[in-house]
Amino acid sequence: MSRHHPKNETLAEFAAGTLDEGRSLVVAAHMAMCGACRGVVAAFEAVGGQMLCEIEPVAMSDGAAARALAALDDESPRAAQAKPAVRPVWQSEQQTLLGYDLGPWRWVAPGLHYRAVKTPDVAGTRVFMLKAVPGLKIPQHNHTGTELTCVLQGAFIHEGGRYGPGDCDDADQDDSHNPVIDEGQVCVCLVAMQGDIRMTGVIGRMIQPFIRL
Amino acid sequence: MGTLHNRPTQTDLKAKSPAELARLIEAVAARQDREAFASLFDHFAPRIKAFLMRTNLPAAGAEELAQEALLTVWRKAPQFDRDRAGASSWIFTIARNLRIDSARREQRGKVLDLEASEDFEPPVPPDAEVMATERDTRVRAALEHLTVEQLRVVRLSFFEGKAHGDIATELELPLGTVKSRIRLAMNRLRDLLGDLT
Repeated sequence: MSRHHPKNETLAEFAAGTLDEGRSLVVAAHMAMCGACRGVVAAFEAVGGQMLCEIEPVAMSDGAAARALAALDDESPRAAQAKPAVRPVWQSEQQTLLGYDLGPWRWVAPGLHYRAVKTPDVAGTRVFMLKAVPGLKIPQHNHTGTELTCVLQGAFIHEGGRYGPGDCDDADQDDSHNPVIDEGQVCVCLVAMQGDIRMTGVIGRMIQPFIRL
Repeated sequence: MGTLHNRPTQTDLKAKSPAELARLIEAVAARQDREAFASLFDHFAPRIKAFLMRTNLPAAGAEELAQEALLTVWRKAPQFDRDRAGASSWIFTIARNLRIDSARREQRGKVLDLEASEDFEPPVPPDAEVMATERDTRVRAALEHLTVEQLRVVRLSFFEGKAHGDIATELELPLGTVKSRIRLAMNRLRDLLGDLT
């Protein structure tokens, strides 16, 4: 069970449907592994339901109901599908993540690989996966936007604590972190990044071109 | 409650109870009850249209998506489970998903239906299930504890997707005030919702 969660605001935007696509993907990956956040999102959806109840209605055009009823002739209710238990959103052999194609793993630096997640870059959000070996220090960086990360495998540690599978790091421009990959398994993270990032150090300058910064 | 939107309306007088709305969806599921569907249409279509217009869709587009939302309600009615989500919450998520799909289709000619995708299981309900009726009761109680101003910023920020700067302009408030109201409202809401899982 994960111990680090997206911010309330991020979950609220996800539930309201106003979060950009890239960050929604990271939240969905987290939720697949976090029952608590599924509960919070269900509550925010109930807030949405309540707002729908109380909204000032806007009349539909004349005959709208009749057209909908006529359209029913071509439709029939679908049987409920069995709801499978939650399963891992990602396994190392997978070529897609929640319906998105994944690019090939590319070498970035010793012990560090990068792979694009093919989401459209519409809201200025870039989505990618990072794979890093235990003990690796990820280069220190600052960002001008937000960076939302979900750990899929392994763990990293920074000033905020230890982040294992399912944990989410919802960082904004005020956070400057210096993560180190924890001992044990290779760490794989899903990252949605907005804004610009300023890398420092040798590895930072090497990774920079790969993530189109 | 009438706190979310200031003007009470005539429609509120004939508003249906959550249990009634759930029964209507179940009637559609059980026997393709067209009369029940017509009632659901009358109740929800004008609300969905209003909701979509608030997110800056033009009236014609909002109307079209509201139609589509109700047809989706007809198709998916057998999947409705009143223990998992209240009628309004369930229909809200349908309208929300259609709006997301339509916005993305416009942006890039590609539809992403998360629920239809092979790899994605729609968020399963919370593990230790809080019954939907209890959740809805808590949500209503929580909303009543927010101030009118807090509710307005929550609605504008999350449900209408407005940027903080636009909210500041609309409410004629300094940006910092808007941000702190959103933060306070969210924390309050989260506290009031309590342990949901």
